[in-house]
Amino acid sequence: MSSIINAIKSILHSMLQLFWFGKKTITNSLSIYIKTSGGSTISVDLDPTWDIKNVKEIVAPKLGLEPEEVKIIFAGKELGDNITISECDLGQKSILHAVKIKSRPKLPQPRHSLIDEDEEQGSKPLCETLRDTMFSNEDGSRNSANAEDDSSSTKVDKKVHFYVFCPTCKALKHGKLRVRCHFCKSGAFTVHSDPQNWNDVLIPKQITGLCENSPELCANLLDNLEPTFAEFYFKCSEHTSLGEQDQAVPLYLIRPNLSNVPCLACADVSDPVFVFPCPEGHVTCLDCFRQYCITKLNERQFWQHPELGYTLACPAGCVDSFIKEIHHFRLLTDNQYAQYQRFGTEEFVLRSGGVLCPQPGCGMGILVDDPDCMKITCINGCGYVFCRNCLQGYHIGECDSVEDGLKNSGSGGCYSVDPARVADARWDEASKVAIKVLTKPCPKCRTPTERDGGCMHMICTRAGCGFHWCWVCQTDWTRDCMGSHWFG
Amino acid sequence: MAGMSPSERRLQKELMSLVKEPPPGVSVDPDIAERNLLHWIIDIRGAAGTLYEGERFQLQFKFSNKYPFDSPEVTFVGQNIPVHPHVYSNGHICLSILTDDWSPALSVQSVCLSIMSMLSSCKEKQRPPDNAFYVKTCNKNPKKTKWWYHDDSV
Repeated sequence: MSSIINAIKSILHSMLQLFWFGKKTITNSLSIYIKTSGGSTISVDLDPTWDIKNVKEIVAPKLGLEPEEVKIIFAGKELGDNITISECDLGQKSILHAVKIKSRPKLPQPRHSLIDEDEEQGSKPLCETLRDTMFSNEDGSRNSANAEDDSSSTKVDKKVHFYVFCPTCKALKHGKLRVRCHFCKSGAFTVHSDPQNWNDVLIPKQITGLCENSPELCANLLDNLEPTFAEFYFKCSEHTSLGEQDQAVPLYLIRPNLSNVPCLACADVSDPVFVFPCPEGHVTCLDCFRQYCITKLNERQFWQHPELGYTLACPAGCVDSFIKEIHHFRLLTDNQYAQYQRFGTEEFVLRSGGVLCPQPGCGMGILVDDPDCMKITCINGCGYVFCRNCLQGYHIGECDSVEDGLKNSGSGGCYSVDPARVADARWDEASKVAIKVLTKPCPKCRTPTERDGGCMHMICTRAGCGFHWCWVCQTDWTRDCMGSHWFG
Repeated sequence: MAGMSPSERRLQKELMSLVKEPPPGVSVDPDIAERNLLHWIIDIRGAAGTLYEGERFQLQFKFSNKYPFDSPEVTFVGQNIPVHPHVYSNGHICLSILTDDWSPALSVQSVCLSIMSMLSSCKEKQRPPDNAFYVKTCNKNPKKTKWWYHDDSV
């Protein structure tokens, strides 16, 4: 059956080929855009087996130039004539840059001419020449290239792997490294040196290069005060590029497991792994990373960091190990991530001295400018007016005086009912009583706290509070509490 | 090992390494642990040259499905509960790595070794000063007790 289909396919294929008159045969076409220095964009179909020389032959006439007058730039490198398209990490609708060769300016690094075939290695795009081992940690100080056995040494030789969170696919995907001018954002940019580690890629202005878009303009505007720097960014390698704006966030803590490090939690060896940014570089598998996040999220133990946002540190308790790129939490499911965002927002509001609307189902965060203002109105939310101190409906005077806030509602009813029955059948009152009995506010941050058994020594579980208090005294936990009523 | 949860996979590995290469003075009955991976009984022997030389104790480990992100519940069980300033007569142990200082990088083996070294460094066999009161009133689960860790020297 499949042979028949194949036969039909090949007939169709040869029929199609008849339409390609003088042109080369395209077996597996790649649709590519070519941006010229003039600003125009040409759409071409390329065969992955062609080399760059072929591309120049197609592009040059459209620019009114000879093939020798054109150079092709992609991902930070001028591509050598004998590089084939398939070696260039191009995807559908990728953008190549065609630039007219001018009298070559003086450069810090001698340029290898296009004729120099020996230099072909350096003329592949950046993403093809980088290796995984370089990106095994932030600054490249630790080289994990241990060639104990054959399998690991072949692994070490692998082309670099990047992982990204793709906002289009909404998932963890393989990523592609791309380069552009830090200043004018043009992709017609060649780097003077390859990035050697993650810091070179993630920290701006580490690698210099030449902006081929308009070198004079960029140099002049910068007033020659600083060289033109490369800017690195990432694209998802698993969907057709949607243009130059289609970027993905590098999840640089997710790395190929080159040395087969077992997971800290489940002890399995998996690939890729999550490497925590602590000095020891503790490793978990992605499943255990998710489990760690969920456990911490449910205990509300994420940390609201002033610069990084709502984040986590290494599970082994290492100092200075916060996850700086919070997009790593996109590894959670949509629901879990929504919960993460909600908790993060709430924590931010509380940290900024704000309050959360206590109305069930509302929870709107409210930032109050005046620290003495006690009457809070949930303006953008449900409209509830409440006391900042006791979070009950707003009242005048001391908070404890409003025990029965619900009694004054529902006046002027036209049903005649038994007052005793009414008193028993109060849903709100019942849950209010339950909350009163089961919870007490943390004396420090006022987070309602439920005590589900155990001793009277309470530790506020809200990250950043951690106040030690006594359930009985509702103040600091003391030796006396331990002596007289540790367990009630 | 297919079909096991991550916590069970980890426990299975820990059990195998503990059975294969037990640290001196520690032994685990693999049959009991194999029957229920979330509940282990570990035998430890008092180290030579310490107050507990020649004594045998039993440690009970209970794990939740959040292990190792959640600490195990560890108590002394059986006839012989060591007389030690950090061990209550009901078997509860006051040791910070069992609650506040727990880390998923720790393991059953490292907990056993911590408890052994806690016993070995003891200079005088006595119960904690609040033993009678604590034992009378505390929860069965020692993790429900918030300890104040002090006096790390013993």
